[in-house]
Amino acid sequence: MDGPLTPQDDAPAVSRPIARERAAFLPSDVDSTVFDEAFLRQLERLLVLMRSPVRGGLKGGRRSVKRGQSVEFADYRDYALGDDLRQLDWNVYARLERLFVKLFIEEEDVTVTLLVDASASMTAGRPAKLLFAKRAAAALGYIGLASEDRVTVSALAGRASRRRAAMRGSGRVFRLLSDLSAIEPSDGPTDLLAAARHAAAQLHGKGVVILLSDLFDPAADRVIRELAATGSELIVLHVLSPEELEPQLEGDLRLVDLETGEGVDVTVDLPTLDAYKARLAAWKAGLSDLAAKRRASYVDLPSDANLADLMFNELRRRRVLG
Amino acid sequence: MPFASPLALLGLLFLPAVLAMYLLKLRRDEAVVPSTLLWTRLVADVEANAPWQRLRRSLLLLLQLLLVAILALLAARPFLERPAGLARDVVLVLDTSASMAATDVAPSRLEAAKAAALDALRDLPTGGKVSVIAADRTARIVVNETTDLGRVRQALTTIWPSSASGNLGDALELAGKLAARSGDAQILVGTDGALATPATSIVEAPIKVLAVGRSHNNQAIVALAVRTSPSAVTRSVFISIANLDVEYAQRRIELRGPGGLIEVRDVQLDPQARADVVIDDVPADVGTLEVRLVGSDPAVTAAPDDLATDDTAWAIVPPDQRRLVLLVGDGDPYLETALSYLPNVELFGVTPAEYGPKTERQDGRPWDLVIFEDTLPATLPKTPILAIAPPSSSAVGQVSGTVKNPGIGSLSADEPILRYVDLSTTHIAEAARLTLPDWARTIIPSPGGAPLLYTGNRSGLPTAVLAFDPRHSDLPLQVAFPVLLANLTGELMGGSAAPSEAVQPGTPVSLQIPADATGLAVTRPDGSVVELVPQSTESSSVSFTGTDRPGIYVVTPQLVAGAAAQASASGSSGAGASALSSPVPLPSTASSPGAGGSATPSRAPVDPNAPVRFAVDLFDVGESTIAPGSAAAIEALGRVPGASPGPSGTTGGGAPTAAGRPTARDELWVPILLIVLVALCIEWAVYQRDAVMRLRRGLAARFGRPADGSA
Repeated sequence: MDGPLTPQDDAPAVSRPIARERAAFLPSDVDSTVFDEAFLRQLERLLVLMRSPVRGGLKGGRRSVKRGQSVEFADYRDYALGDDLRQLDWNVYARLERLFVKLFIEEEDVTVTLLVDASASMTAGRPAKLLFAKRAAAALGYIGLASEDRVTVSALAGRASRRRAAMRGSGRVFRLLSDLSAIEPSDGPTDLLAAARHAAAQLHGKGVVILLSDLFDPAADRVIRELAATGSELIVLHVLSPEELEPQLEGDLRLVDLETGEGVDVTVDLPTLDAYKARLAAWKAGLSDLAAKRRASYVDLPSDANLADLMFNELRRRRVLG
Repeated sequence: MPFASPLALLGLLFLPAVLAMYLLKLRRDEAVVPSTLLWTRLVADVEANAPWQRLRRSLLLLLQLLLVAILALLAARPFLERPAGLARDVVLVLDTSASMAATDVAPSRLEAAKAAALDALRDLPTGGKVSVIAADRTARIVVNETTDLGRVRQALTTIWPSSASGNLGDALELAGKLAARSGDAQILVGTDGALATPATSIVEAPIKVLAVGRSHNNQAIVALAVRTSPSAVTRSVFISIANLDVEYAQRRIELRGPGGLIEVRDVQLDPQARADVVIDDVPADVGTLEVRLVGSDPAVTAAPDDLATDDTAWAIVPPDQRRLVLLVGDGDPYLETALSYLPNVELFGVTPAEYGPKTERQDGRPWDLVIFEDTLPATLPKTPILAIAPPSSSAVGQVSGTVKNPGIGSLSADEPILRYVDLSTTHIAEAARLTLPDWARTIIPSPGGAPLLYTGNRSGLPTAVLAFDPRHSDLPLQVAFPVLLANLTGELMGGSAAPSEAVQPGTPVSLQIPADATGLAVTRPDGSVVELVPQSTESSSVSFTGTDRPGIYVVTPQLVAGAAAQASASGSSGAGASALSSPVPLPSTASSPGAGGSATPSRAPVDPNAPVRFAVDLFDVGESTIAPGSAAAIEALGRVPGASPGPSGTTGGGAPTAAGRPTARDELWVPILLIVLVALCIEWAVYQRDAVMRLRRGLAARFGRPADGSA
């Protein structure tokens, strides 16, 4: 995206009062606190790193597992009836007297699906995990748009996934931001597994699925398994608030679940907190191991992480971004 | 383990109460968390929702139960029994005499004796009673038969060393009586044994002496007197210093007056010897003198000896007081001559016919003495009276005829009026036959029983009656006559209203009340004021017993407001009277009182209501001898009841026999209290264990060492 950013045509003529001057160009339905222009420009330089070629409907700047018309040789395979004779390697036939077809890597575009967990638990934390997830999703989605990928946003709430229309091109960034801004947290409990299954069923072909969630669900491991099983490359951004990483609790307490309202009596002291942290670390390690087994990327993020550092350093280091 | 208050074990009933409160303690603060996913898998208290699981894991509850149990145990007062070292009942006699203030044992001998007594009373058997007697000149029961050692301890704090001489006799006798009431009693005596008056009486109870003191080092002022020089201009001060130490001593004497230092003398004192110092030419206008025995080197601030009480003494310089004597009679040259030679007496004379209301003095100052010779008025003046040969019965005595050649009966050798008076060669031709009034005592009796001279206080007024006219005897021709008159007038005029010599601490003092005063206010050396009121309006003196502190006591009469104004006004007038100074021959005075009926001395009148002073000094060599006395001698006075007298009868150490010895209790509250404190500390640490662990981790992080147990 070379030119300056301009408001979308469908944006309201009158913008709502916004404290920040740099956000004056944003449409009113875009949360002005999500991004500033400088951050958007920096994101342009980033591309979503694809670990493996993906199959897609449009050619893009990505390699595809689909062998096709390309200049980059991939492999040979035996000729089968109906193959394009133009792909036969006659030099090999001359030496071996067997017919082989040359396979080339075909570059295709991909669909980047952003699955944002909108469960009630995501509203907790300072800053709220949902806010952070929106920002991160916007950043990653913008990177996808800038890379000429198709980007779609889905909110996981209740037992369903609310999918928005796919968009392509960096000019649709404000729609992306509007879609993200429109995500509201769920009022009741959320069945993350059911919502993830719903989202998996909505996927068209293979691409990149980015799940932004706190994974506070007893079936979080199955969520990863099932999303990884869709064939898309799965990137799990595990967002936890600082209060969840370092609980500031003490004394005899009844902990009430924000979503379910169920309570747990607990006497919080230092050994308890130590045990909690150990269990939290083990939980995250288990999820990370599971993601690795399923060829998915797992990145745990505190909700107070600096978004620029996240984009330019953390995700690069984890080889999520190229 | 036995308990002194086993009922207090009912406090253990609080254990179930604590348990119940803990079980019912379900109130928890609610905290909303995004998810309880991790907590439900983790927290031990999840299982602890079952009460017994919670109890099993609660260290705090265990500690609280332990504390309740220990406190109940503490309230029950567990104790251990052991054989007691003392008899069942103990009478503690504490010597509070002046020598007990010696500082050779820090802080003082008395405090050391108190500590030794409290230490000894730890061996008191269970239920044993303790009486405490403080003994100096007299014995005083401070605590009577209490089983409460705390009360004894409190009472001991109220006992202070006095400045009086030590006399354990009364105290031991009193202790013996207290001990006699108990079948098994023992007397503990806390003393240094340095007693002015050694005790001699045998006490029917074993005595154990808690001896204190070890030093001899003391020098003391043992006498101080002021004499007027013959010229009556200056005074001489006599000071006697005693070195009661066994070593040579060099001290310095400072003589001070109200205006400051008057004289300083250095004295060399041989061991166990006295040194007398005379300081002449002390100004006459000095009212009080203070003598201090200080160290020879003024640069040394430490006390020069171990007893400070006897290093200071006070004396009152006797004032010149002119006495006014009125002689009513026809004129007896012997009598007038003898009276005229009395020192400090101004003599006035009138005939019986001239005597009347007009002879009353108008200056507000009454006659110090009125002498009626061969006459008595119908109305007796309210002054001291000497009646010589009263012609008829009156208030001073009943006259029933005369006695010829009465002779003189046996005289009392201790009678102060007859001091230096020799009547063995006196013959009396004729005397009035008198009947001794009930207010008088006979001074010179006749063999027939009728008194020839008696004296006494008649309604508060000193009165004496001489039954015979001196001219009817050969007494005026003898030396005894002026001496008898001097003694008699001295007795009647009372000398000074205050003690003329130093009073020993603790000695009661009889103080005279002026005629128009309602009482006396005595200002003690420490500034406190004691008001004395006579028991009846007719009393002319009161007894003051608060002389326990050495120093100058000032006695101020408390006047009625009107009398004080009148005295002041009449005292200032003092004019218009034809004064006849002493010595006055009677013929020349015969006409003078009639001129105005009043007589005024040529000198300024002495105000009878002026404050008078007296000094209280130790002046007791026996008490200043602080060398510890023999404890064995005191213990030898104790005797086990029922034992045969003699050397075997004394107990020596005074310990009761082992047979039937009662037991003493050692209450275990100290270790139990320590356990309670430790348990409280542990409970605090458990309650605050997070803070403690954080502190530990913080310190470990600061000093670069990894904190263990952080998981």
